[in-house]
Amino acid sequence: MKKQLLKEIIEKKEKKIEFAIITDLENGESCVFEKEKPIDKNFEKYKEKIISQFDKKKNGIIDGTNIFVETYIRPINVIIVGAVHIAQYLVNFAKSLNFEISIIDPRGYFASEQRFPNIKIINKWPKEAFEEIKTDQNTALIALTHDPKIDDPALQHALKNKFFYIGALGSKKTHANRCARLKEAGFNDAQINKIFGPIGIKLGGKSAPEIALSIIAQLVSEVYKK
Amino acid sequence: MKNSFDEKILEEAKDWIFAKRNVVLATVIQTWGSSPRQVGSRMIVNDKGDFSGSVSGGCVETAVVRECLGLIKENKPFKKIEFRVSNESAWEVGLACGGEIAIFLEQIN
Repeated sequence: MKKQLLKEIIEKKEKKIEFAIITDLENGESCVFEKEKPIDKNFEKYKEKIISQFDKKKNGIIDGTNIFVETYIRPINVIIVGAVHIAQYLVNFAKSLNFEISIIDPRGYFASEQRFPNIKIINKWPKEAFEEIKTDQNTALIALTHDPKIDDPALQHALKNKFFYIGALGSKKTHANRCARLKEAGFNDAQINKIFGPIGIKLGGKSAPEIALSIIAQLVSEVYKK
Repeated sequence: MKNSFDEKILEEAKDWIFAKRNVVLATVIQTWGSSPRQVGSRMIVNDKGDFSGSVSGGCVETAVVRECLGLIKENKPFKKIEFRVSNESAWEVGLACGGEIAIFLEQIN
């Protein structure tokens, strides 16, 4: 690898640009690949295969070639609505699993810097908060307030924008009521069924860290199902 | 979950180069069976024999350092090496986990 390439890679990492490093294992040549930019002429003939590997977000040697691809893909963005006790544990799990995290809660006394050090906190109602943060199909929503005033607008935004994972805290009864409200708001069953509710896999625990663990376990398992 | 954006190994390589060291980058390019580190895992080795990062769970790092020093000494640009299941009764390097890995070594020049 050339020093110049190393410099280029580090710059792209800092800017969080999605790219791949491609290496020809036969002759040691390597370069940076970006989807929207023309490919290095040495790798032109593998273009289609490199793009397909990149889209799969997979690192490895492309079948039948000597080309190694390592992708740099942005981590899943996890938005937690409700800076509640469970969120404090969730944040720690999510951090060690390399998720990017932000918290939305209009209630200032919950969402304080002191309770969530070094986490992006947005002290606004979900509708305004979502104007501030970019969301896409790589975003996960974890709604924890079980207060319709706060959770519902966030869930509606997540459904409309096809978030990769949507989960909402609350009992079966709470969730049934939530589904009824969403139906009334114009969402169909297929959309509503995308919400994991009650959120989390069945662990049996009821304490805040146990619930956080069951939620994060569900999120991780959904990542690998993709 | 692996997030390449968070790995600081290449930044560390840059610092070593800035300090006028010869640096070899070792990358796991293929795995078979139960290997401890996934494809794309990296370690760096310099001409003093210092290393950072990992390509296995500590099973083959020493051998990788030796290979990297050899690469610098012979001034070869790159090399592919493979490690297979170790024979536990012998004092040889290998993967006690029973996996196999291929590692690509390249000098940063």
